[in-house]
Amino acid sequence: MTTTTTTTTNDLNVAVIVKLEPDFSEGNVSYNADGTLNRAETKSILGPHSAIASSAAFYAKVKYGARVAVGTMGPPIAESALQQAQLLCDADELHLYSDRIFAGADTLATAEVLRAGVSKVEGGKVNIVFSGHRASDGETGQTGPQTAWKLGYTFLGNVVDYNVDLESRLVRAKRLISLQGFYDIIEEVEAPLPVFISIDPSYKAFFNTVSQRLAFEKYQKEAKLRAENYKQFLKVLNTQQLGIDPKLVGLPGSPTIVYKVERIPKAKASRKAEVIDGANGEQIARVVSNMYEALGGMVIK
Amino acid sequence: MKASSKYQHLYVVVEHEDGMPVPVSLEMLGEARRLMDGFNKKYSSDEKVVAVVLGHNVRKLCEELIFYGADAVICVDSPELQHRRNLIDTKVISQIARSRELVAKFSNASEFIKPRYMFFAADSIGRHMSSTVLAELESGLASDINKLVIEDLEIKHEHKTKGQSMKYEKTLEMYRPDFSGFLWTTILCLDNRNPANEREYHPQACSIIPGVFAPSERDTSRRGTVVEYIPEFDEKDLRVRVLDRKIVKSAVDFDSHKAVVSFGKGVKDSPEQNIKLIAELAKEIEAEVGVSLPISKKPFSVSESTNSTYMIPDRVIGTSGRKIAPLLYIAVGISGAMQHIAGMKESGFIVAINPDENSPIKDECDVFIKGRMEDVIPLLLEELRKQRPTIEVKK
Repeated sequence: MTTTTTTTTNDLNVAVIVKLEPDFSEGNVSYNADGTLNRAETKSILGPHSAIASSAAFYAKVKYGARVAVGTMGPPIAESALQQAQLLCDADELHLYSDRIFAGADTLATAEVLRAGVSKVEGGKVNIVFSGHRASDGETGQTGPQTAWKLGYTFLGNVVDYNVDLESRLVRAKRLISLQGFYDIIEEVEAPLPVFISIDPSYKAFFNTVSQRLAFEKYQKEAKLRAENYKQFLKVLNTQQLGIDPKLVGLPGSPTIVYKVERIPKAKASRKAEVIDGANGEQIARVVSNMYEALGGMVIK
Repeated sequence: MKASSKYQHLYVVVEHEDGMPVPVSLEMLGEARRLMDGFNKKYSSDEKVVAVVLGHNVRKLCEELIFYGADAVICVDSPELQHRRNLIDTKVISQIARSRELVAKFSNASEFIKPRYMFFAADSIGRHMSSTVLAELESGLASDINKLVIEDLEIKHEHKTKGQSMKYEKTLEMYRPDFSGFLWTTILCLDNRNPANEREYHPQACSIIPGVFAPSERDTSRRGTVVEYIPEFDEKDLRVRVLDRKIVKSAVDFDSHKAVVSFGKGVKDSPEQNIKLIAELAKEIEAEVGVSLPISKKPFSVSESTNSTYMIPDRVIGTSGRKIAPLLYIAVGISGAMQHIAGMKESGFIVAINPDENSPIKDECDVFIKGRMEDVIPLLLEELRKQRPTIEVKK
């Protein structure tokens, strides 16, 4: 773990890391006949979890006047994710980390690029980094915490609410913990800045005071204008500009490889279904009676 | 004692809540036991299943884990470890993974550098813990695994082997279902043998989906070693503090409902109305509503209330969500991807409503109602209302 310097003023600098992902909404997503995603025909958007992370950063802007930077790793087309994120969080800076040698990266090699990228924001003086819960396509949820570790930031996962004490430089966050077979737990934690927050899908920002609501409207207007001219805020950085060791990124920096992809073999039929004609009232009546029978088991117990 | 090597043993990071193991912990141990029994036989070796437990007052749990398949348990008992804190836990687990002294307590450790394999739970704690531990150990990690095989593999890879064919012994094949539930990706963690960038990557690590593997039968005749470890804490890290913990009841409650009605992409013709219809059906039989994974990605534009009530990850049934076994399960417009089936196949009586008789769900249900939900559900509702009173009198 590397140590990082923090600001001594009451300023707050935040960064959001986002991802351009397949758009799973109807009309934009396309599936092959076998049920798998047709990537060529599917459009791309800012991932839904990235969008939630962006709104969490916007909360910091409205409530604490934070400066916001958004970063993503990807090909040039990924700048559309930055634009969409800027619209949500009124970002002051947009960073695209783009280099052919980043291709084929697993989570560890991706985290190395993001680490270097966040270190470039505000001279390495970012106090809070936000990421989404996980990407809709990769779905590992590993890149965020691995970036946090490489940055040397305290990682707080599944955060549903957070507040910052600018004087004492402490974050208080609520985290949602769900464990198999146990009740869900809301845990309240306190941690000194800098922290890395991965935002839970259930996060919602609330603005309570009049001044917050006014700031909200003001920055929302600003975000709209900025996103229309997002290129003015955009910086594209390659390996050299990021000061990255090429051996730690892309294929060379990835411990893991995808060895094979196969269709999950169809399991042997586990039940023998009776096929019922959905328009046949008599047959439906019998199914309903079977359904009540099945439910009856509980009543007797 | 067998010879030592640089990478040895399978470490399982155990999760518990106040000393009660989370089921996936015992499931991981069960699978670890089966894998290492096969491994030791195949390679005539004696590598161990090593459970790692962090907590306070956990000695009893550690002893119990031996009955569930651990050969050795590394027990870290400290009031500072009462609750999980990623920063501190990651450092402690990484210290353990690199400790030759600990390994020397239960095996020949003369060459030991790091574990060969490492398992974590793919849940809200293990997912992040595995990520940070493997970032610290600088090795590979695969997430959400539901099948594991150890093999000697011939690998020819553009980077790893510079296009040459090379044999990788004792490689952990980590199978991971993708988001569609139709594809299975096998992930390997391999050393770089490319002369341009040689580098060893161990442990080979993964996080494991809860509810997939069977735990071993508890066997009190099993013997093993519990090794105490006293960690060094960095004062600075202790500034991360857990202030409060509150139990919350999830808004979605599958456990106290005897029936579950789930829907999938089949609602697409008129999502808003169809979801209303499904909710009405669920209400009629006092069922909780579930969804298939694609629905949680909000593929349809529907009203905000429908969106936030139904199209949410909390309702997902399957390997990416909850595993349930209600007395009655009704799958509406769900094709039956394996990842969904895994979450509901233990249900009592299963009814599927689907216009396509070739859907895989047909092989996983007791009754397959062929038809469009728009037509079938109103009929079902009518019949449910007609038959209900007699049933209630009977009970």
